[in-house]
Amino acid sequence: MSGSCVLFVDDEEGLLELYRTSFTRLGYEVATASSVEAGRTRVRQGGIGLVVLDIRLGEASGLALLRELKAAQPKLPVILSTAYARYQDDFSSWLADAYVVKSSDLGELKLAVKRCLEASA
Amino acid sequence: MPREGALQRRPRGMRRGRVGTWAVEPGPPLRRHRPSRLLDLLVAVGESLERAVDPEVAAWTVLVALTAGEGLGFNRAFLLLAQDKELRGFLGIGPRNREEAFRLWADISHHQVRPMDGLHEPDPAAIAGERQRHAATLAALTVSSPHDCHAWRRAFVAHANHPQPSVRRWTEVLDSRALLVVPLLSGDEPWGVVLADNFVTAAPIYLGTVEAAETLAHVLRAAIERTGLLRRLRDEEQRGLATEHAEMLLATARSLTDALVNPLSIAGGTARELAAAPPSEPAELLPRLRVIAESISRIEEHVSRLAQGLASRANGGQRQEVELGELAERVVERFRPLALERHVRLVCYRPARRVRVAATPEAAERCVETLVANALAACQEQRGEIQVAVSEEGDWGRLQVADTGPSLETELRRAPFAGSMSMRRGSSGLGLASLRALAEAMGGKVGYDESDAGWVRFALLLRRWS
Repeated sequence: MSGSCVLFVDDEEGLLELYRTSFTRLGYEVATASSVEAGRTRVRQGGIGLVVLDIRLGEASGLALLRELKAAQPKLPVILSTAYARYQDDFSSWLADAYVVKSSDLGELKLAVKRCLEASA
Repeated sequence: MPREGALQRRPRGMRRGRVGTWAVEPGPPLRRHRPSRLLDLLVAVGESLERAVDPEVAAWTVLVALTAGEGLGFNRAFLLLAQDKELRGFLGIGPRNREEAFRLWADISHHQVRPMDGLHEPDPAAIAGERQRHAATLAALTVSSPHDCHAWRRAFVAHANHPQPSVRRWTEVLDSRALLVVPLLSGDEPWGVVLADNFVTAAPIYLGTVEAAETLAHVLRAAIERTGLLRRLRDEEQRGLATEHAEMLLATARSLTDALVNPLSIAGGTARELAAAPPSEPAELLPRLRVIAESISRIEEHVSRLAQGLASRANGGQRQEVELGELAERVVERFRPLALERHVRLVCYRPARRVRVAATPEAAERCVETLVANALAACQEQRGEIQVAVSEEGDWGRLQVADTGPSLETELRRAPFAGSMSMRRGSSGLGLASLRALAEAMGGKVGYDESDAGWVRFALLLRRWS
């Protein structure tokens, strides 16, 4: 997995810390961003192999960033991470490569990250 | 209702007409019902019908007028209404048989009851009871809608040999020798029928009585159409409110999911991480435990707010009529001593017209208290002014609290009712968040505005009572 930096975009600092610890321990290179703007900037800097994106980012919507990312880099895999399956209300959520409902058990998210990175390799 | 009268084989004042129908004899017209008396009756019935909001009450009012002694004096009367290609028995009034008639009339006479007096205060329970008492007869009177009723342009008196099967059935069911039939048509289709007879007293049915009964029946039709429309509107409104209620509960559930999943994921995920890879140094453990503890505190806070929100939403189904002006004055008077003490001018403006809204009284009062307390807290350092104003705004009743205190922080202006950040008032901000939750639970909303320089305005909007 080395060389595949996973960017987590979430406005919850506690979650970002959890992702950082957990995924770093699995050998991933991890980057974090706590807002849409910070996420956009980090992707532009390059080196991101996959984005895990929260849908609800304060007042902003992660779906808007998803549309932007997919327009600029169609091959960049994006996993939507959400507290509630409301993303189905918005067709743009269909652009995502995977959906994961947030949970204290990161098993599903870890599996989705692994699969998406393998598929994009 | 007539309390006496000789029974006779052939109703006096009537002659046998063609096709087995008792034709109504013209004379002596209006002998029993002088024009002034008839007019008084129509006025009394009209006044009662104006207040009626239920079709049952409207029907009962007219049937009482048909059967009361001081009314048209029929022994009994029934109303049938067209529904699903049938003329269905809707309401009946009067005794069911001779024995019951004598008992009933003796009772009325003994207690000096004047049925027409009861029109001022209809008793829905008594009406339902009367409907139940006649349920079997009403069911038996129900017939398929007659096809040839377009010939029924006027009221007529029929007997057992009437050519129309429906009419024959009614005379059979009621065992009536002279049955007044007042058809009510909608185009060529039947809308309803009023039936009345003197099955005990066999008193004659004069032309004047028939005409008066016809007039009452047409008044009844107008009233039932009006009350039926009112009921449909009311049902529609109830369905609308139920939908709103369900939507609010769904919104609450979604909000809960959003609010709880993050701290739950953080607390649970961090605990799992600790279990999977325990830190070797205590110094590494403590910050993670703190993260878990903070997340659990957030969960507790959300759950507590959710419980309050759900409770107030559940109460939202029990809204009552609340007069917003009175409520505003009451709360303002409660805060006046405190305002005086803090040298804050507190005024209340309410319109002369009552502004009635649908609300839970306790919740509405708590909302107004929150707004005034918030304004007072904002003004206390500046000796400012608070204006509480009540007004109507379309379908809404508006209670606005404006104060001359300092403006809200820029961040708070974006979402003053979010309750997630500190307020300018130095409190937690949960007061305004609760205000919004309470207002929404009552089907209302809240507003904030600082467009008028020097004034900060918060408003509570509740749906007008109808």
